Amino acid sequence: MYMRTLKAALVSSAMMVSAAQAQQVVEWWDFLGGGDGVRMKSLIEQFNAEHAGEIQINATTLEWGVPFYTKVQTSAAVGEGPDIMTYHASRIPLAVSQNTLTQITADDLAAMGLSPDSFAAATWDAVNVDGATYAIPFDTHPIVLYYNKDMLAASGLIGEDGLPTGLNGIENFNAAMQTLRDNGAQYGIAQVTADGGFAFRTIYSLLCQQNGEIGGDGNWFPGDSPQKLENAVQLIADWVAAGHNPSYTDYPATVALFTTGAAPFMINGVWEVPTMSDLYDQGNLFEWGAIELPVFFDRPCTYADSHAFAIPNNAGSPQTPEEHAATLEVIRWMADNSLFWATAGHIPANVAVTETPEYQMMQPQATYAVLTANSVFDPKSVHAGVASALFEAAGNAFTAAMNGEIDAASAVAEMKAEMDGL
Amino acid sequence: MANRRSEIIAACVFVAPFIVIYGWMFVWPTIQMFRLSVTDAPLIGAGAYIGLSNYTKLLADPVFRTAINNTIYFVILTVVPGTAVALLIALMVSRLNGWLQSMILALFFLPFILPVSVVFVIWNWLTNVQFGILQGVIEPIMGRPINVWRTLPWFMPGVAIITIWWTNGFSILLFLAGLRNIPKDLYEAASLDGATRWQMFTRITWPLIWPITVLCLTIQLILQLKIFDQVYLFGQGGRTRSTMVMVQYIYEKAFINNQGGLAAAAAVVLFVFVAVMSVLQFQLLRMRGYR
Repeated sequence: MYMRTLKAALVSSAMMVSAAQAQQVVEWWDFLGGGDGVRMKSLIEQFNAEHAGEIQINATTLEWGVPFYTKVQTSAAVGEGPDIMTYHASRIPLAVSQNTLTQITADDLAAMGLSPDSFAAATWDAVNVDGATYAIPFDTHPIVLYYNKDMLAASGLIGEDGLPTGLNGIENFNAAMQTLRDNGAQYGIAQVTADGGFAFRTIYSLLCQQNGEIGGDGNWFPGDSPQKLENAVQLIADWVAAGHNPSYTDYPATVALFTTGAAPFMINGVWEVPTMSDLYDQGNLFEWGAIELPVFFDRPCTYADSHAFAIPNNAGSPQTPEEHAATLEVIRWMADNSLFWATAGHIPANVAVTETPEYQMMQPQATYAVLTANSVFDPKSVHAGVASALFEAAGNAFTAAMNGEIDAASAVAEMKAEMDGL
Repeated sequence: MANRRSEIIAACVFVAPFIVIYGWMFVWPTIQMFRLSVTDAPLIGAGAYIGLSNYTKLLADPVFRTAINNTIYFVILTVVPGTAVALLIALMVSRLNGWLQSMILALFFLPFILPVSVVFVIWNWLTNVQFGILQGVIEPIMGRPINVWRTLPWFMPGVAIITIWWTNGFSILLFLAGLRNIPKDLYEAASLDGATRWQMFTRITWPLIWPITVLCLTIQLILQLKIFDQVYLFGQGGRTRSTMVMVQYIYEKAFINNQGGLAAAAAVVLFVFVAVMSVLQFQLLRMRGYR
């Protein structure tokens, strides 16, 4: 009798232990600190509430940029990385060279109910290296042209569809900026001119608009790309020289110049959309909108990157099948529920979400989402991507050139020498 | 005899934790740094032995020379001027009494407790080319607003001024403690002999405060040779090849360019540089003190 009670007690306590183990904890690292970080937190809370007793996300937010990538790469190398992390598609090539990411297999994709067709072609391509998939895109985040609708309307630059008109082509755009300035705007356009690494996003878009490209190791600027890159840099330098674009302006000042009405246009990332929406809702902002970059050269093209979910390849401590399944469930759920993520400005990568009527109603997101068909991602190299040697070289070469300290040709030559020297 | 042995054992027991931790956390990584510097290792993982080619590569890199020059320039701009300013402030503060002295001292010490990121945000906003209030001073003199952190000749002096503002509190405290240790009767005797204030300073204060000055200069020298944070923060996205300092060079090679071996070689050069400079300076200043 005594033995049976003991046995029963042992069995029941063993069952309790296994019940406790049934709740998988998914360690999550991200670099989302701003307005999108707040939105991601509420997504995570919602996920945890819906998966109570099954899966819990334990999230940690780390510093964006070089600190984040240094930490995830080194911790994966010693087996101390998380189960899942946010990752810029543009930084995947470096991680692949270090073997710090786990491949996403066809079975994994099937388990999540996703396929390559679930994503825009350029976005899907960005998470693949040499035919293997290393992350699941969560969003596409391009740069866009923000505009002050009140000021544009007063200058007759808003068309019948309620969107800006007559901005395509360098001459038209310059004329529009001149009109706006004649009508009282202090500047024509605000964009970051104190940070050539940031401005690289615009310059790279302008390069792509001329069908120019940045290659990769060994051949960074193929064909006539140096000349086209020079044209791109020259365009911004001309704007600065003409007083259209304020010189040596840093990021916070750029946003301030737009939101205070000093500059009716701003080129910036879609991640500033929540700033504008919030200010507008508080009654502190004019009528505004955001559109795909105008076609300055030959064709529409805009720089984009993608926040994706990646699973680190933790050396010596691979995920158990249960952990792996729980991680996939997190990615699947996030992909399905990324409509809310669109309020952070980012374009959900999952096409099924952007096709919903709810997304189509969302403004200005639905207006600029069309640009995913024309987006260009960073070249696939260990030296490219956010916080990379390429951005660093752009900072050195373009900051001086945009502000007229050196000419565009020397800036391109300097950049080429720097990249070829790596 | 037995007593002596137990004393030795006790000494070993007390010293051992330090030796172990120091060896593990400092000596061993330093040895590893030397080993890494002769390989072509990336940031993560091992590399192959390549002899001294990292060092020859360093010497051939104009950016590395810029980094050394900028570091020396920064040391010149901060170490002696910073110490002089600290001494001046300490002399003035020491003439105050009671709560007024504490309050003024607190005001000068306050910046020292700020983290570098806060220092950066404050000064970056003060000097902002569109909205910064300091442009009210710069614009009348220069004729137009200047982005201090994107104008090469302004960059290092700008960072130096902020660094002095930021780190001076500590030197002021050291000097103040030194000044309080000088017996009052020396000054009384001097004034009875009809010494002027300047004579009192050069004949009493300066010689007696000299050891503190040496300490301040040495601390400052080592600290400023390792300059990184401020230069990195203010230079972000700009012409970092021209404003580069040595620690930043190491950081960029290791964490941005993924060249661990090369970064280790640069770290070895900095290590030797700091060691030689510190010993030289200390010896030089000590000789001056014993004269």
